Parts: sequence; structure tokens; C-alpha cells
Amino acid sequence: MLKVKNLSKKYEKVQAVKGASFEVKAGEIGVLLGPNGAGKSTTIKSIAGLLRFEGQITIDNHDNKSIEAKRVFGYIPESPAFYDSLTVWEHLEFIARAYGLNDWENRATALLERFELDDKKDKLGKELSKGMQQKVSICCALLIDPKMVMFDEPMIGLDPKAIKELKSIFVELKNAGCAVLISTHIIDSIDEVWDKVLIMSKGEIILIRTRDELAASGESLEQLFFEVTDSKGEETA
Amino acid sequence: MSSLLFLLRRTLKSLIKSIFKKPAVLIGYIVVILFVGAMIVTSFVMPSGFVRQSSPELFRGIMMIVFIFLYYTTLKLGIEKGSSYFRAADVNMVFTAPISPNKVLLYGFIKQIAGTFVLLFIAIFQIPNLKNNFVMQPYGVPMLMLAVVAYAMTYPLVGMVIYSYTSKSKKRKMVVKRAFDGCAIAIALIFLLMLSTTGDLQKAIISVFDSPVAQYFPIFGWTSAIASSAVSGFTLPFIIGASGMVILIVGSSIALYKMNLDYYEDVLEATDFLEQAYKAKKEGRNLTFNQKVKQNVKHKMTGDGARAIFQKMLLELKKTSIFLFFDKLSVTVILSGIAFSYLMPDEVGMSPFLLVLSFSVYMLMLMQVQGGWSNELSKHYIFLVPASSPQKLLYATMTEHIKNLFDGILLFVISGVLFKGSVDIILACIMTYVAFGAVFTYTDVLTRKLFGSVHSKGLQIFIKVIACILVEVPGIIFAVLAGILTHSDLLAILALGGWSLILAITFFMLSANIFKNLESAA
Repeated sequence: MLKVKNLSKKYEKVQAVKGASFEVKAGEIGVLLGPNGAGKSTTIKSIAGLLRFEGQITIDNHDNKSIEAKRVFGYIPESPAFYDSLTVWEHLEFIARAYGLNDWENRATALLERFELDDKKDKLGKELSKGMQQKVSICCALLIDPKMVMFDEPMIGLDPKAIKELKSIFVELKNAGCAVLISTHIIDSIDEVWDKVLIMSKGEIILIRTRDELAASGESLEQLFFEVTDSKGEETA
Repeated sequence: MSSLLFLLRRTLKSLIKSIFKKPAVLIGYIVVILFVGAMIVTSFVMPSGFVRQSSPELFRGIMMIVFIFLYYTTLKLGIEKGSSYFRAADVNMVFTAPISPNKVLLYGFIKQIAGTFVLLFIAIFQIPNLKNNFVMQPYGVPMLMLAVVAYAMTYPLVGMVIYSYTSKSKKRKMVVKRAFDGCAIAIALIFLLMLSTTGDLQKAIISVFDSPVAQYFPIFGWTSAIASSAVSGFTLPFIIGASGMVILIVGSSIALYKMNLDYYEDVLEATDFLEQAYKAKKEGRNLTFNQKVKQNVKHKMTGDGARAIFQKMLLELKKTSIFLFFDKLSVTVILSGIAFSYLMPDEVGMSPFLLVLSFSVYMLMLMQVQGGWSNELSKHYIFLVPASSPQKLLYATMTEHIKNLFDGILLFVISGVLFKGSVDIILACIMTYVAFGAVFTYTDVLTRKLFGSVHSKGLQIFIKVIACILVEVPGIIFAVLAGILTHSDLLAILALGGWSLILAITFFMLSANIFKNLESAA
């Protein structure tokens, strides 16, 4: 569903991403891990179509910047941002219009209820707490019923119930055949749900491993992360 | 496009609804609308050339200066940060939606046009002044408005083109920046040379900025040609300028709309910058936002308790000022104060010191509406300092008084040399200037204490400016009476200063408890 081939991005003299290639299949949960400055944000922004880059990114076999790809792509950015004068419901209405959704109201209501936002639908975006804004951002991305969805640090600011809800949503999306890519620093938060881990360091994908492969080695995801990122650091030191 | 139109429509509707929900805010906006309406009506109906009838050449020169300055500052910032019509919400929701970038750009343009109202608002305030001094055409006011709209639509467009070019490499950025600065320095030098040759500000402005070629120069020349038609009529420069701007705006918009655009990356940084600027404005830090902070500034902090607040603010000031307390505010107040006294006609019959004092105080009021003390309200530290609230207020505002004293000394010593004033007049002017500064500061504190954090910063500033003007009216009356009765400029200035001092002390006492707890300033 998501195919990234030889992705490279250079900011003036800094090579933020060097020839990254990976794939997240339909019905798979990919996790993008890496220390600060590894190139995760640049990769995420490139996939979201916000940056120019070298290489190729396709979503559902369409160029990621095409209208066709955007139609099936949901994105939850690290920092939610809302229109000051629009209510929660109006944000959802805008998304429905922008993505050409029909009969979206029931789905929107169900999403708001699931995240306990049903009593906040008439609140302005700016009146919400950070955690609630994150929940609305998730609702907006899921409203389009995406085939591929990308979460950038989705747990930040969420209360325990919302984290639990989000984890079950990851699994539901996977079961519905959606490709999910999660970028996070909190390894524990995705330990139960991931299928494929992509570890980045210094702009490169240094390791791709599936859950089964890791299970066979008897290591935990956290152990693996520190092992490869530390050794990469030592190699280049 | 329908989803983007929905966004614009709904934003406007929600904004209006939110105003109606708060009666106090509604009243504030009604007052502002009535005030602006009155200003517009006055602008149209007031006679032009009432105070004097300056030459169209001077008007054209002033318009050229204004637009060169506006384009220079906005485009130079555009090289650094890019230009953006977009907000973070647009990046997250519109850029990632299945909408073509061309339509998104069109949406940005529509938003930008709405944004020009703020610029028009500022421009309206200048029209009575211009009409008093120049003989305008019957269609002069709309022509000035048109020039402002043309500027507001052009600079983001040109800014985006320049940023797209310069963002590719540091070298390009450096070259373009140097070219901009080089041109600015060249213009300033030519002007200073002309000023020293002629010894006359007006003649120098006319000979440099009203040269026959300048108005045909693309973009800033064209814009000022549109503005100049307010006085000069529909001349050839206007026809060329207006056609040029129409071709530029429509042509580049169509070109951009038809192009295979990939500009999202170019506006990301600018949008982020804009978002920070909005945040700073919301928190009242708009004047200090994006200030360059000097590294390696040594400052030994002395004193404890509330004095530590003063020391901390002193250190902040040292890091952001050009030298000691000399900063952009000093430059603006000093230059505008002195320039004003030169530009005012002799028929006004006021002493140059009173002219410098009145205009510099007016500029101070506009620029010091949001003092550094208010930054403290957004952080918890000041509330936790073990000292009384009046002490905290005194020390949190101390740097402003010292800075006003510093600027006052500079301004009036220079004025003293230029206009050959006596020491007592200079001292009285300095004291009055500082007292006025204190009134503005404590009016700011008091309005914050009385009304809390108002719906919009713009409205809050508007209330403060009006309040400052109203409370100073008795002082002005005392000064006029003292001047008429005693024929002494010194006593007139002292009357004004004395009244301001009484006001400042009263307002300080009334608002002294603002740092008692968070709720006393909420």
C-alpha cells in the first residue's frame, strides 16, 4: 500500500534522509523508530506530500502527491492545529467536503463518541485541551476511512482511556486492510500492536524487522532498538 | 474548491457568531466600526489642503518612500522565512487533502485579500493627515486604498517567487539579501547626500524619490504611482503602474494556477514563522517577536526578591537592544519626532520642542502599547517571587521608565542642539516624556486589571490607546491654558508633565495588586 523507494532529502548541506526504502502492506502496522535527528520527521513529511524529495513514494499505487493518493491517505501530525473559528463538528464537515465523503455524519458521530468528544462537538478547536485536540485530529484522519494512515507521535497528550482506544483502533484498521505507519519515540506504547519495525538512524533505514523475526531472536523491541542505534552510533563515531 | 469555500464561509460565520456571544466584545467592535466608519466618512468629506497645500511632488516622494520601505521590509523577511498565506491548520488539513495545490493557492489568495483589511485600517488613519497637507483629487481616498490593496496582494506573490529561488542554496540567499541591502543603503546614501547638499528635507525627498524614472520602476514604482494618482490624477505613470500591477497580479496568479505546482515545502517554514508570530501577538509579545538576541552578554545580577525581576528584564533588554537601551523604538521615536517638527509648517506657531514632544509621545503611545511587563503574566515565575505585588509591579516596569529616560535624553539633547533650546526646556521635555511613558505603561496595567485578557489583542490595544488619549485631555488643556496665560513654553510643558506624573502615580496605585495572583490579571 505504501511504497517508499530510494527516498532522499537534502536541506542545503544537510542530508536528512539517504536512500530510504521500505514498504507497509495493506493490513500491516509499521512502526518508524529512531533517535532524535534520525530523519523520521523528514520521512513523514515527505510521505505526507509536504516536502520535495528524490526517489519515489506511492500510496495505493499512486504518486503520493496525486489527488488519488491523497483521497485514501489519513495523516495525524505531531502537533494538531485547528482553525480558530471552527467548531469540532465543522472541522469534520470540512474534511468530509474536502475528501468528497457522503453520509459521513453517522461515522463522525461514532468517532466522537468513541473518543468521548460527543459533548464537545460545538466547541471551537482553540477551546480544546491539547489531548482533546489530538483526539479531534485522529477523528478527522479516520473519518475518510483511509487505506493508508500515518500517525506521528499519536499518544502525546492522550489520557489512558484514549491510548487504549487508539491501540484498539490500530488493530481494527489493520483488520480492515488498512496500512498503518506510526512514528514514535515511546516504544512501549506500540509494543503490543506492531507488525514491522523500521529503525532509522542518521538519515538511513538501518533495520527492517517483522514481529515474527524478532520473536525468533528472543529479543524485545526496546533491546533491538538500543542495540542497532548504539552500534550505528559507534560505527560512524 | 467547494470545501475551501466552505472553510472560508464557515470561518467568517463562526467569527461573527463568537462576537455576538460576548456583549462586551460586541460593544467594543461596534465602537471600532463606528470609529472607522467615522474616519472613512471624514476622510471623504473633509476638505483637502486645509492646513497647507504641499506640492504633488512631495506627495509622490512620500508615497515612494512608504512603498519602498514596505516592500523592502516584507520581501527581505520573505527571503529569510518565505511568505505564506497559510496557517498550521491549512498545512495539516488542506495540504494533505485531495485538493490540487493550485486551488489551495487560490484559497490562500482569497484569505490574503481578507487580510488587507488590517492594512486598510492602518492606512485610513493616515488619510486625514495627508488630506490636511495635500490637495487631493475627488477620487483620492479610493486610490490610496487601491494602492494598499495592490501592495498587500503583490508582496506575498513576489515573496514566494523570491523565496523559491533563494531557498535552493545559502549562496543565493546571501546574494539576494546583499542585493536588497545594497539597494537600500544606496538609496539612503543618495538621499543623505542630497539632504546635505540642499539642506532641505522636502527638497531632498522630492529630488530623490520623485525622479521621473522612479514611478515606472516595476512593483514599488507602480504601486506608488497608483497611490500618487490621489493627488496627481490619472497621469501616464498611473496608467502604466495600474496596468503593470494588474498584469503582474492576474498574470502570475494565472501562471501559478496553471503550473504544476509543488510549493508546499516553500511555505512550511513561513507558516511556522507566521504561527509563532500569531502566538506572540496573542501573548502581547508582538513588538519583541523575532528580535535578534545577542549572545555572550555579561550582566551581573544584583539584588534579591522583586529587584531580581528588574535585573532579569535589564539583562533581556541588554540582549535585544542595539546598544545599552538604544533599540528600534529609540530610532523610530527620535527620527519621527525630529522629522515631524521639520515637516510641520511654521503657520502652526508651536515651538519646535512642543512639536517634537507631542509627536514623539504619540509615537511612544502607539509603540509602547504592549510593554515588557505583560510578558510576565504568561509565566508563573513572577507570581511565586516572595515580594509584595506593588514591589513586583514597580520593578517589572522599571526598565521601561529607564529606557524612556534614555530615549528622552537622546531625543531632547539632539533637539536642543538642532533647535538651540535652553537647559530648563530640555529637562522639562525629558521629564514629561518619561511621565507620559509611565502613564502609557500603567494605563496598560490598569486596563488589563479591569478588563482582563480581552477577546482580541487588537481590541485591547484600541481600548488602551483611546483610554490614554482621554486621560491626557485635561493635561493638554492645562498646558494650553498655561501657554496662553503665561506665554511660557516651559510652564506649558511642565503642566503637561505634572498632570502625567499625577496620572501615572494614581494608575500605579490602582493597579498595584496585579501580581497578587493569576486571577488578578486574568
